[in-house]
Amino acid sequence: MDEDNKVTKKQVIETEVPLGTVHSAAIEPYRVRLFVEDEIVKDAEITVGVNHRGVERIMEGLPVEKANSLTEKICGICSNSHIWNSVLVAEKALGIEVPERALYIRIIMEELERLHSHMLYLAHGSEVLGHETFAMRIFYIRETVMELLRMIGGNRVQYGVPIIGGIRPRAELDLMRIQKIKDGMDFVEEKITEFAERFVSDPMVMSRITGVGILKKEDAIRLSATGPTLRATGVDIDLRRDMPEYESFEFNVITQDDGDVKANILVRVLEIPESIKIIRQAIDHLPEGKITNRSWDMEDSPVTNNYIEVPRGKLYHSYSLDDGRVRNVIIRTPSITNIGAMEYACIGYHITDAQLAIVQCDPCFTCTDRAIKIIQI
Amino acid sequence: MSLKSYSRARSVHVMLVYTGGCNGCDIEIVNCIFSPKYDAEQYKIFLTWNPREADVLVVTGPVTKHNEQPLREIYKAIPEPKAVIAAGACALMGGVYKNINGDIPSEEIMGPVDKIIPVDAKVPGCAVRPEDVLAGAVAALPKLLNAK
Amino acid sequence: MSIADSLIAFIAVIGTLILAFFVSAWLPGIERRFQARIQQRIGPPISTPGIMAPLKFFFKEVINPNSPMPGLYNVLPIIGLIITISLLMITMPQLYVLAAFTSVIALVGLLKVEEIIYMFMGSLSQSVLSLKMPFPDIVKGAKHPGVRRSFVEELSSMRAFRLIAFGSFPIYIAIFVTVAIAKSIYISDIVSYQQIHGPILFSLAGILGAIVFFIGFMILLNEYPFAILKTKADVIEGPLLEYAAKYRAYVYISRGFLIFVLASIFSTLFLGIPPNILSWTILINIAVTLVFTMIMATVSTFSPIFTFKQFYPLVAGVSMIGILAIIASFL
Repeated sequence: MDEDNKVTKKQVIETEVPLGTVHSAAIEPYRVRLFVEDEIVKDAEITVGVNHRGVERIMEGLPVEKANSLTEKICGICSNSHIWNSVLVAEKALGIEVPERALYIRIIMEELERLHSHMLYLAHGSEVLGHETFAMRIFYIRETVMELLRMIGGNRVQYGVPIIGGIRPRAELDLMRIQKIKDGMDFVEEKITEFAERFVSDPMVMSRITGVGILKKEDAIRLSATGPTLRATGVDIDLRRDMPEYESFEFNVITQDDGDVKANILVRVLEIPESIKIIRQAIDHLPEGKITNRSWDMEDSPVTNNYIEVPRGKLYHSYSLDDGRVRNVIIRTPSITNIGAMEYACIGYHITDAQLAIVQCDPCFTCTDRAIKIIQI
Repeated sequence: MSLKSYSRARSVHVMLVYTGGCNGCDIEIVNCIFSPKYDAEQYKIFLTWNPREADVLVVTGPVTKHNEQPLREIYKAIPEPKAVIAAGACALMGGVYKNINGDIPSEEIMGPVDKIIPVDAKVPGCAVRPEDVLAGAVAALPKLLNAK
Repeated sequence: MSIADSLIAFIAVIGTLILAFFVSAWLPGIERRFQARIQQRIGPPISTPGIMAPLKFFFKEVINPNSPMPGLYNVLPIIGLIITISLLMITMPQLYVLAAFTSVIALVGLLKVEEIIYMFMGSLSQSVLSLKMPFPDIVKGAKHPGVRRSFVEELSSMRAFRLIAFGSFPIYIAIFVTVAIAKSIYISDIVSYQQIHGPILFSLAGILGAIVFFIGFMILLNEYPFAILKTKADVIEGPLLEYAAKYRAYVYISRGFLIFVLASIFSTLFLGIPPNILSWTILINIAVTLVFTMIMATVSTFSPIFTFKQFYPLVAGVSMIGILAIIASFL
């Protein structure tokens, strides 16, 4: 036991405080061991795999439509991202054209999901800060977005809008729905602006979040952070800018320079108006026409992959098709690459701030627990 | 109604244990506590994270391998009388993870919940709706009220 | 003193205590309701957190807490309750005959014990939520396998220790502002000084002292933003984690009671109105308690948790105001 750890033994570490797997700050189950010396975190170890369900394993050999709807169950926060990316892989492999209108509606769904995911992040962040009121205000705003998602997809959490070749007929946007989305976006924009002003002008909150959980640019790149966490350290990268789906939309990529909790929160807060901007553009220029392209044939294909930008960063799906069934599935979610950043960001801060430093990277451990245990079949 | 059941009905502490579903049910349950729209506290339901304080255990998710033992421990830590609500399709029957019948079944799912601890109320849905969770808490109440 | 007088004094003390219990039972509910209205929701009925929740816990099964000394651990909230009761009793005018026990020194001593109890609680509690959680931590490849492992409650025990060292500074300084003005450490003298010269609160030193007292009041109650002892973010409930059934009910009751007691100490020292059921001025005591509860609810709703980074400067600054108040009292 001691031989492996000769190097790390030099560090003065007094005590270990294990938290989880059931804990009030981390609603999801994961284990974090914080090594503290006089309440200052010296090292951290995050153990994932607690909610490993083996989704890739059970996806093996399923018909591709069924497999797509299973990917949705990977995560309840970014479910649309998973099903969209999975559908995109199949479309790429089979060479299916997607009608413009379907594409626009998919993007509306994705951006609505980004809205609710970022708001959940803000609420969770406020909750970890100990600011119940801010959490409740945010949940109040988020409810509008949830209602819009329910209206379009029929369910508050897993909407299942994209299918291969287009979108589900239920998710077609008629005039009434478009009007509701417009009203909802106005409401959310107004409220979130108010909230953001209130948030950044609160001296107590600002003193808690400024200069806590700092992640430098070089470290973030070295630890392969992704998404808003990387953007908060000053790296100007957003896959949406390079995705063909987003070609016709105008939006800004938000970056901040500090890499602390404040920068992370600001990136997410400022991305909300950008998402609203994209939704408004999509609604204003919503093309007419059919929503599903049904003229395609199933054929075998080698391993195909696809990347998209989801609320937490870069999402990777790949699988091959064999007789209409899915084989060799690999899914890599953004949170798994952010774990290094989480462990690194909480070192050197008070233990209460350490939780905040973990939460600042927007962890979604449900997404993360994908790794397959390789067995002999 | 005796003082005992009256006080039990007027103050219900709910603990949420999340055993590895997809986060969806979990967020909806937290939503129904935190969102001013649902506000469970007006129905005298309080969220707690301490098993010693809790009366009602809400379990979501299909119970993965690493969560089985913690779930038992937490159930044991709650003093009598206690009730368990299984919320969501995964908690009720293992959900898609157990029942999708792919080529290789998942070895990780130990659930559903009632294999591990006794369940008193079941809330269906994927994901559960906040209204249903509140209704489920009400459905579990008689067990608490009539307990010795 | 004749026997009849003693009997009346005895009845008055008991009556005041009963009234205090009755009023304090509603305080947590009022606080929660007030917070809920600020948060734009309906919130629980005001009887629930203070009356119904303790009642419910009395009817729960008594379990053995995970603790190296379960008996001592369970007895601690009762000791806390007794100390709180004695705190109230030494401010009652009927008991001023006990001279030495009714001085400010006794007040400070009892408050100190109240704080130390948290430290004991923290070191005696071993909840299932951290170290006892069955999870394979020490495996091949784990970081630092040889390190001493601790429960989260140990963390809050350390924090309680720090709070004893500096956290309760403001309330003591505020108490000594009144001593400096009345030039006596006896509560009876402070009260009679104010009956002659008017309440201390309506002077410069008194106002500054009242502000300092209020901050100290919130720190002593571990209310947000000073709840570092029991933050949800890391230690969950800290020292109180293992209390169940009737012992948790004592914790609930003694918290509500402590709000009333501290507020009545304020009205004794700063307004010259000791809690006494035989006089109509008890209504002022109750009004002060309600005002304190509401201000506390408002402050705690609009603030996040403070870590020591914010805590140290705040306590230092508030203590400076307290010292200013003492200087002002000599002018």
